Amino acid sequence: MFTRMVKRAGRQHRTVFVFLVLALALTLPLDQVSSLARTQETSEEVAQGMSLSGRLLDTLGEPVHDAEVAALEECRVEPVTHTASQSNGSFLLDLPSGTYRALTIKVSRPHFQPLEWQLSEAELDQLNTSGSLRLPDIELERRITPGFWVATLSFVLILALIALERLHKTTAALLGAALVLGVSLVGGTINPNLFVYDFEEALGYVDFDVIFLVMGMMIVIGVIEETGIFQWTAYQAYRLSRGKLWLLVTILMAITAIASALLDNVTTMLLMAPITIQIALTVGINPLALLLPEVLASNVGGISTLIGTPTNILIGSYADLGFNDFLVNLTPGVVAALIVLTIYVILRYRKPYAEAGGRLSDAMRERLRQGGRITDPEKLRKAGVIFGIMLVLFVMGDAIHLDPAVTAIMGAVAMLIWVTPDIEEMLKVVDWTTLVFFIALFMAVGALEEVGLISMIATAIGNLVGDNLTAAILVVVSSAAVLSGVIDNIPFTATMLPVVGYLTRTIPGAESDVLWYALSIGAAMGGNSTLIGASPNLVTAGISERAGYRVTYIEFLKIGLPAATITVIVGTVWLFIRF
Amino acid sequence: MGKILCCTRGGEASYRTQDAAIALAKERGDALIFLYVVDTHFLDKTAAPIVVDVEHEVAKMGEFLLLMAQERAAAQGLEAQAMVRLGRLRAELVAAAKELGVDIIVLGKPVDQEAVFDHVALRAFAVGLEAITGAEVRIL
Repeated sequence: MFTRMVKRAGRQHRTVFVFLVLALALTLPLDQVSSLARTQETSEEVAQGMSLSGRLLDTLGEPVHDAEVAALEECRVEPVTHTASQSNGSFLLDLPSGTYRALTIKVSRPHFQPLEWQLSEAELDQLNTSGSLRLPDIELERRITPGFWVATLSFVLILALIALERLHKTTAALLGAALVLGVSLVGGTINPNLFVYDFEEALGYVDFDVIFLVMGMMIVIGVIEETGIFQWTAYQAYRLSRGKLWLLVTILMAITAIASALLDNVTTMLLMAPITIQIALTVGINPLALLLPEVLASNVGGISTLIGTPTNILIGSYADLGFNDFLVNLTPGVVAALIVLTIYVILRYRKPYAEAGGRLSDAMRERLRQGGRITDPEKLRKAGVIFGIMLVLFVMGDAIHLDPAVTAIMGAVAMLIWVTPDIEEMLKVVDWTTLVFFIALFMAVGALEEVGLISMIATAIGNLVGDNLTAAILVVVSSAAVLSGVIDNIPFTATMLPVVGYLTRTIPGAESDVLWYALSIGAAMGGNSTLIGASPNLVTAGISERAGYRVTYIEFLKIGLPAATITVIVGTVWLFIRF
Repeated sequence: MGKILCCTRGGEASYRTQDAAIALAKERGDALIFLYVVDTHFLDKTAAPIVVDVEHEVAKMGEFLLLMAQERAAAQGLEAQAMVRLGRLRAELVAAAKELGVDIIVLGKPVDQEAVFDHVALRAFAVGLEAITGAEVRIL
């Protein structure tokens, strides 16, 4: 019986196999069939032939892909054979059998100097004798082409449009990416030196780990924020402080820093700012005396985890740093910076804190109490359970090979199934424009990598610091801190990732990943120095202005610059202690 | 009995305008309505994800600020109403004025850097508002 079943199963499999072969034969056009046959013949010829392999690298040691590699015999214009380098920079030239007396390898690729490699006699001997030869790594020099300027100017345009608020951030980034692609594809047919990359290559620069991590966290945060937990904690801070302003600001800063580390700092400030303004008016103080310390704490606190700031998400994904890496290597430094920051804030605002006096009616206090309550306890309980599990998975992620992006998506799905089953409602909380912004930004930064600007910056910093890790830490922290105060720290960090990657590979001792943490500290703490330095600063200023309290650039600078300086120093000292 | 619409953001810079509107309403025996417009377009400037219902949070803050204004009016013997609207300032101001059929729209006089408009821009804004709504616009 069993044998009969096996035979029947075997017959069924054969029938299926024959059917599939017939279907394949019918669907394949004849020319493809003959092409397949030709390929097979060529493969047999090549198998009997000779091969020449090697690897192409740029001056930073990065593989050069899609370069045209051709082998030419002496006195012949047409190449003997040619190929394109792979994503790891390697190439394999299949040479017809024979004895070669002279052979030249020609390498060409947009944005690199063309290179000719003449095989030495010893190399030719080895090739002729053994039939194969592995060349040493070939280094290609960069060159500045019109495409370089297209990519560079497009990126400058993006930064300027965002900084000057001429266009929506996403529109600005899309414009930059579209400019590069348009000129590259259309202009590239007229002048090959205008070519930067094609659409497929541009998409290759998009880091989908970042996209999915940000998207997953958006849904999770979208559920949690509806529970009123932020407003409740802020109101509890007001109650606990019992009119002591130094205590109120300390608690509010602590809450903001912790919330920023666990969720993200922009969300935290968007939820904390309105209730903080109401608390400030209730206790009779200018809201800026509470709001500005909160936003400073938010930017610092967010650094301590992978998901705390968009810059950390970018760094973590690029450098393959997990939740624990940030927690272990940055949290103690962040706590120290927060303590120093709190002392600075209390001293800075000691006069207004001392002069504050409650002046609102009982009705207003009741209104504040109503605004500071948990709106949906059941939802909070469920969301809290899921978020708790997510935190455990974030922490255990490295051990169980679970990417943070996957954890975030799993958490989002759990929220959708258990807490808010309305998919339409939940998808509304996803900020799609920001996801598109990240995609366009990755493409624009990819163009800079493609044309060699990133290599130039990396080489310049590499030449400046040499093999000195201390100098490298100081340069990365300080340049990130200063530039984050001038331009938005998200595009800045995205640009710096390959640069810091190069420095991490080349500077002795930097394999500890210290430079990534230096970038994190510089970009986020440095963002405190100016109003436009970090996104939480801008959103807080926007909400404050809606309550009639405008934060001017100078006013922010007066408190932000000293705060950034102090915290960056503390953070840097911590890096030197830790590493 | 006419209607006066006073557009306000709250904050110390607005107190003078609120007081002037309260005095005007008492003098004319008109009803006073404070308007707060929730405009969250400033969020377009940021490069970070926005997943929070900011309009809802700012609206709650607006209600709080308007309650302060109402208490201010009550302290001066006038019962004022309050209204929160979501959208662009100009569009919502026009819409509110038309819906309520107000006679006078009160705007705050720019006194310092806290102001939304400078003098010239505010005057032009007021002229445009008068043309669209048919209400008298007073800058107090």
